[in-house]
Amino acid sequence: MGRSADELSVAEIFDRRVAPVAGVADDAEAIARACHAMALRLQRGGKLIVFGTGAASTDAAHVAAEFVHPAVAGTRPLPAISLTADVATLTGIAERSGLPEIFARQIPVVAAADDVALGISTDGHSDSVLRGLRAARAAGLLTVGLTGGDGGDLAALASVDHLLIVRSHDPQVVKEGHVTIYHILAELVQVFLEQPRVPGTEALS
Amino acid sequence: MTAPGSEPRPRDRDGAGPTGVAGDASLNVPLYPFLTAQHGDLDAVLAGVRRAAAERIDEIVALRRTVLERDADRLAACARSMAASFTAGGRLLAFANGVSATDAQELVRLFLCPRDARSEGVFRAMPAFALTTDVAAVTPPSTGVGCDSVFSRQVAALGRARDIAVGICTGGGSASLVRGFEAADRRGMLTVAITGHDGGLMAELDSVDYLFVVPSPSPQRVQEAQTTICHALWELTLREVGRG
Repeated sequence: MGRSADELSVAEIFDRRVAPVAGVADDAEAIARACHAMALRLQRGGKLIVFGTGAASTDAAHVAAEFVHPAVAGTRPLPAISLTADVATLTGIAERSGLPEIFARQIPVVAAADDVALGISTDGHSDSVLRGLRAARAAGLLTVGLTGGDGGDLAALASVDHLLIVRSHDPQVVKEGHVTIYHILAELVQVFLEQPRVPGTEALS
Repeated sequence: MTAPGSEPRPRDRDGAGPTGVAGDASLNVPLYPFLTAQHGDLDAVLAGVRRAAAERIDEIVALRRTVLERDADRLAACARSMAASFTAGGRLLAFANGVSATDAQELVRLFLCPRDARSEGVFRAMPAFALTTDVAAVTPPSTGVGCDSVFSRQVAALGRARDIAVGICTGGGSASLVRGFEAADRRGMLTVAITGHDGGLMAELDSVDYLFVVPSPSPQRVQEAQTTICHALWELTLREVGRG
């Protein structure tokens, strides 16, 4: 009846995920509000600009692909770019201006005022992501921050309009919560865009 | 028509084409009927989106439980084999198409530069390569070699016996993955396939040593559970290496 030692250690790894991911449901209202705000920008012709370093750079590529190639057949492709995709630009900026500038230097050049910036940092302390979000706010973008742990410096940043935190100090668990959150953002932003006119458009225009 | 909160039509995320029927009349059917019921009413739409978000989260929590029940033993066994390969001087080669390529890269990143805030301290780095990152290698060359050999050629060039091949797809799989595994098997590598839905092409391969199938029709939920499988394999493998 009892579980083997192997099974127990695998179970411990899986159990560690349950509460932080289930806790994302407590942020359903914040996720819905972020979807709505993003839809208003995208409807006006804005694009999504996603950035993160390390593991989060794979998330940035993933989010951009979710928007450009929506998972649900029949929903419209939406414009999105990841700021780590171009190694020539990335290493060029890092060499000239330092690694913390890799996003902040790109954003003013590629962004338009109706765009949305999504910065991802599992512990909220990525200097380059923080600088990227500040640059995005300065350029008039809607800013969304995806982080973990206690939110780190990112949670304290005045430049973030929508903040979503996965409450775990295990960076892998945080990442898994982020994947679920951005899958939901990408899917449900389409809900608002499916309507002839995104509700709430008047209030913001 | 899809009911609110039910599964969206699945679509393969790995470049093998939609598994749902795109381009048919379903294009004109609203995916979220709660919208048409309360057309233009922001509060109603927000409530529907909140509900849908909560349902997605319930789905992934339940799906991870299913994966644990089905695969706990095999995850531990696979990690022991991976640890044995690393200990014998093996390296990890990871490949996947589309959004799954980001999972392959995350797995490689984790082995190459692990970072962990917990008390166990700094983890040991292991040699690993993603076969999806070099644009010159992943875009088809002009010499007539097709996309199907994008991974098999790299495996043939880089792979050695005792290396580990990890291929990831959310459902259908593709010829490029099949060929990648066949090339790895010919080299005598340990082969690990992580797939979803009903296992697709990956479930039929003799060249795969360890097969993990995440049983869900939703490619997004499959991918979320696969990220956990990758993270669990990494953590278990490092524990084994440390023990050995």
